[in-house]
Amino acid sequence: MSKRAVDAVFQALFLLSDVRFLLRETAPGHDLNEAQKARAATTLDKVKRQVAILEEELIR
Amino acid sequence: MKCAVDIESRDVEEMYINIDPIQAGGRLTAEAMRAAIAYGDGYSVCDNCRNPPRLDYIKNPPIAQYHADLAAWLNMDTARVVPGARRGFQAVASTLVEKGDPVILTSLAHYTEFMAVEAAGGIPREIPKDAKNHITPDAAAEKIEAVIREFSKTPPLLFVDHVDYQFGNVHDVAGIAKVAHQYDIPVLVNGAYTVGIMPVDGKALGADFVVGSGHKSMAAPAPSGVLATTNEHAERVFRTTQAKGDVTGRTFGMKEIEMMGCTLMGVTVVGMMASFPRVRERVQHWDTEVAHSQAVVDALLSIEGTKVLSDYPRQHTLTRIDTRESFDTVAQQHKKRGFFLASDMKKRGITGVIPGSTRVWKFNTFGLTEKQIRHVGEAFVEVARENGLNII
Repeated sequence: MSKRAVDAVFQALFLLSDVRFLLRETAPGHDLNEAQKARAATTLDKVKRQVAILEEELIR
Repeated sequence: MKCAVDIESRDVEEMYINIDPIQAGGRLTAEAMRAAIAYGDGYSVCDNCRNPPRLDYIKNPPIAQYHADLAAWLNMDTARVVPGARRGFQAVASTLVEKGDPVILTSLAHYTEFMAVEAAGGIPREIPKDAKNHITPDAAAEKIEAVIREFSKTPPLLFVDHVDYQFGNVHDVAGIAKVAHQYDIPVLVNGAYTVGIMPVDGKALGADFVVGSGHKSMAAPAPSGVLATTNEHAERVFRTTQAKGDVTGRTFGMKEIEMMGCTLMGVTVVGMMASFPRVRERVQHWDTEVAHSQAVVDALLSIEGTKVLSDYPRQHTLTRIDTRESFDTVAQQHKKRGFFLASDMKKRGITGVIPGSTRVWKFNTFGLTEKQIRHVGEAFVEVARENGLNII
């Protein structure tokens, strides 16, 4: 049982939901302002960390 | 991109600004999207269902608390979540209306109110709207008198829409409720276009029942909604089963008949709950939403020949517009006929105008950002200008 992997899946999906919400807020052009770009960058970094945890737990 | 066999992923909200009249208030919050991921399984909220085994007693996730919060938020005494506003109408009508009873609703009432009355065996009688498309207390009084004369009995229930679906006009519910109560008629307020998008105070409205729609106005998955009532009516509408099996002798404890036991057992209730903090907060910004609606209406009115059929200035984000003397004149000559408007708007990243509509149609600006509002207004004017209409 890898609680860490399960948590990472949820966390990544939740973070991607935030990105999805950002796409909605900025539709149709998705022309992000500086604050939105910063928000996107932070969120995507966090997603990468969760994916790394999943690789660690499930593949390596 | 497909999300399953033969099912395309829905990316309407990500790719376009959506001004569809019924979809605006039901768009999920980011929190509800997260909840939908975690609670998609069927009976997902039932992991910790204990005694009594009923949805509104579940403490984890905090569904019991949510019920209490909903009632308090609407300034009512008690609330239940229901599978859509229509099931709230049905529960109340089924409780209060006997076969052959006249039931008052309005000439702007949603069809599901009629169906709830019909299912209960009631006979619908409509309060007429006035020339400004309003339901007034005077008209309500006249109708009640007429119905009492016709049926020799007092109607057991009156439905009134806080904001109607046809014009998006705000009606004098408090005045109508005051009249109804003079005849001891309980009042059900249909808040499908208000609960969750603008402040609603059930007691101030004089409501005996407030019904809201989760998927129309509370940023929740469908089908979801709320039925709230006062202590005076709660025991009757939320009565528990007395049924007993004659062979098995089984009884069913605290299950509520009109709720058919439990109502929203998964993603619907958790979606409502997840959106609730933001919903509670967003109703405080109703003035901004109305100003946004007004900005788009004004842009449309700058196109010569366009008329607004809803109240003006706008008091709601749902608007009925008449473009028979503007966009429809273009449609007469256009190779795409009436489809040109939806098509030209879609090219500009805007959807929700019903394809083919260039005569009388509705749109809803709720939830759009300032930038998106500007884009919508400019797009309408640009389409008009490109098609030879005058901008005034």
